[in-house]
Amino acid sequence: MEGNTGGKTPQAHARGHLHPISSLIREANQIFLRMGFTLAQGPLLESEWYNFDALNFPTDHPARDMQDTFFMKDEPGMVLRTHTSAAQIRYPEKQLAAGVPPPYRAISIGKVFRNEATDVTHEAEFFQIEGLAIGEGVTLAHLKGTLTEFFSKIFQGSAEVRFRPSFFPFTEPSVEVDMRVTGTSAPEKLRDRWIEIGGAGMMHPNVIKNAGLDPQKYQGFAFGCGLDRIAILRWGIDDIRLMHSADLRFVNQF
Amino acid sequence: MKISRNWLQNFFDTPLPSAEALAEALTFHAFEIDGIEEKNADYILDVKVTPNRGHDCLSHRGIAAELSAILKLPLNKAKDPFAKTPDFSKKTDAVTVTIENPELCPRYIAGYIKNVSVGPSPEWLKSNLESIGQRSINNVVDATNLVMFNTGQPLHAFDAAKLKTENEKLNIGVRLAREGEEMEALDKKKYALKNSMLVITAGDRPVGIAGVKGGMADRIDESTKEIVVESATFDGVSIRKSAQALKLRTDASTRFEQVLSPELAAYGMQQVVELIAAIAGGELVGSVDAYPAPPEPARASVTVDKINKVLGTALTGAAVADVFVRLGLPYKEEAGVFEVQPPAQRLDLEIAEDLVEEVGRMVGYDKIPATPLPVYEKQPEVSSTFYASEKKREELTAQGYSEVYTSVFTEAGERAVANKVDSVRPYLRDSLLPGLTDALAKNKPNKDLLGLKEIKLFEIGTVWKGGEELVMVGKVSESEKASEEPLVPLEADQYEDLPLSAATRYKTFSKYPYMVRDIALWAEGPEAAEGLQQTIKTEAGELCVRVDLFDRFEKPGRTSLAFRLIFQSFEKTLTEPEVNEVMEKVSATLKGQGFEIR
Repeated sequence: MEGNTGGKTPQAHARGHLHPISSLIREANQIFLRMGFTLAQGPLLESEWYNFDALNFPTDHPARDMQDTFFMKDEPGMVLRTHTSAAQIRYPEKQLAAGVPPPYRAISIGKVFRNEATDVTHEAEFFQIEGLAIGEGVTLAHLKGTLTEFFSKIFQGSAEVRFRPSFFPFTEPSVEVDMRVTGTSAPEKLRDRWIEIGGAGMMHPNVIKNAGLDPQKYQGFAFGCGLDRIAILRWGIDDIRLMHSADLRFVNQF
Repeated sequence: MKISRNWLQNFFDTPLPSAEALAEALTFHAFEIDGIEEKNADYILDVKVTPNRGHDCLSHRGIAAELSAILKLPLNKAKDPFAKTPDFSKKTDAVTVTIENPELCPRYIAGYIKNVSVGPSPEWLKSNLESIGQRSINNVVDATNLVMFNTGQPLHAFDAAKLKTENEKLNIGVRLAREGEEMEALDKKKYALKNSMLVITAGDRPVGIAGVKGGMADRIDESTKEIVVESATFDGVSIRKSAQALKLRTDASTRFEQVLSPELAAYGMQQVVELIAAIAGGELVGSVDAYPAPPEPARASVTVDKINKVLGTALTGAAVADVFVRLGLPYKEEAGVFEVQPPAQRLDLEIAEDLVEEVGRMVGYDKIPATPLPVYEKQPEVSSTFYASEKKREELTAQGYSEVYTSVFTEAGERAVANKVDSVRPYLRDSLLPGLTDALAKNKPNKDLLGLKEIKLFEIGTVWKGGEELVMVGKVSESEKASEEPLVPLEADQYEDLPLSAATRYKTFSKYPYMVRDIALWAEGPEAAEGLQQTIKTEAGELCVRVDLFDRFEKPGRTSLAFRLIFQSFEKTLTEPEVNEVMEKVSATLKGQGFEIR
């Protein structure tokens, strides 16, 4: 609820509230900007090439089943993007077209879609942040360092990052990312607990190649995290569906 | 996949650690564990095998090999189905195998066994299968299932007598089904086959849907005396499509669709023949191995330098060699180059990066340091669309508008999705206005609760209109109709420093309706407001969720103060008498303090 009233008259021109997701996007951009990352946005309605093929998803492979994709009616080859990972192709392509070679550092933040039934922890529409760094000496250790910095800042504490083996077609090696925040400024419910927070890895050489770069020369890391999940953890939000509820009883608390 | 700890123990001479320790070992070095179930003096681990390891790890042997590498416990060679090279030197002329589509069936081994006695399985076999949720059927069928869950190779047993054509021939074929063909499968359902589906035939009659399910007509039953066991390799995409089209996903099809090595078929056949001989008697007449084009053994190379360059580590050649030895990956090493010849079932190991991953996960990702990226020598660019949308956000919030996000899905529009699971609202919106108008209506009744004079909303969101994807800025309030305009990108050199949410914790709001009461009184001056508000709040108790001073006017020597009280419960809908009672208490207290209630 809007914090209780300092005896002031409610005003028609009181300042409005930013949606918590917008505040997080703003903050994430500030954090990554300081580390040299450029924000680059992509389309929500995406081709299967950018959403799957270029990202090394084989056609007719069970890996595509992991995605619960919305396919467009009467528009073959078009999907609602299932992740922000197309940035791994689109951003280098755009840079190369402008004659700019690596190193690259970019983030992409926005709405993604999964064709699944909704409940308190599942939404068909949610927000993701993707990050990538491509260069001649970018390593998995840099991924750990970068995510440690991001989570420390966004959760206002001191974060540690832990990797577990995983599989994504577009990264090799692939890891699940867990984080743990310590420090009294971190949200209490979050403090000192390992929490699953995203997926990541080193960009697969086929992806580097599909982005127009030489995988012999360049390597890179990529990660993806749900922003709704970050919001839920940071503020203790109990239902992911509130994000799209347009309910000011929710929004005006932020 | 369900993995039994007791079953895993068969592969090791040394006792395995606890189920929790196994789960932890797998979690940090191989696969996520979805759960551990204690069951009949056993522990069942639900192992989430990733799609790149369906080739080898949808099996107890595969998981045992992982644990062997992680825990540094050697596999017992005598119990390892892959330790002994399969021997199919005993041939038979009684069976022929003809593969019409070798691209969809690279290998088909048929084993012909006579004089079997079908009956119940021995207890150990029943309990192994039941531990992982399988039903025991009879010794022959159970043997094929056990070998599948042990090695990962699906198998099928036919009653040979039923397969035979009039002239006593056992002519097995693999071909695409013909339109209109039907087959009753072991689940007693009749399936209409399509010409994209691969079938197994006997004298041209379909007796099985390849890689998916066997036919009812040729099943093993109590009367069965001779059998043909199939151990074959089918194309993953083809099996996946058949299973999808027939809505018949089976343990066999799940494995084939992940792609299996044709070499695996030989090990599966070897183990099932031995097992059937042991538990159902019978003698192997001979086997037929149709394997027109065995693939070249795969090789993958990586340098120690590359491993360290990708992982950001300083591992030695000896540390790398240790990982390959533990994983059972034969290698040659020359001048820091490791050339690995993966076992046939490890189809996931193709390129250098695959080997980097093996080293990384076996050494442990906890050994990877957290290294900050070096300072970036370039200047990050400013996104003209994000810059513009941030500017709009600031402008609109400064004017009292609050931001909402509404769904992109709607009941009408230019474009739609084809396969929405809930099948409602399949269209993509072509305007923000309907969503904003709904949101306004939804928020209006909560105005007092929110302490707002007017509901004012905005959304910056994507719409699809005129064949284009556009970002629109829309707004609406009680005093204006909803309107929207395209977001105009703005070039800038740097982002503005804009405020972030200062919220620390979200508080759940009540789903019950609230009630409003006003109280106005005369005070000596406006400075009394703050104290009065506190008094009212204290007297009104916890059902009163907010008190706002909503009106004030001055007369010579005194001031009228009007407060609005909002009542709401987390447990129920409040009644008039309940709220009136509280208000009377508040009035009485204020009067008692000498205030004149208006």
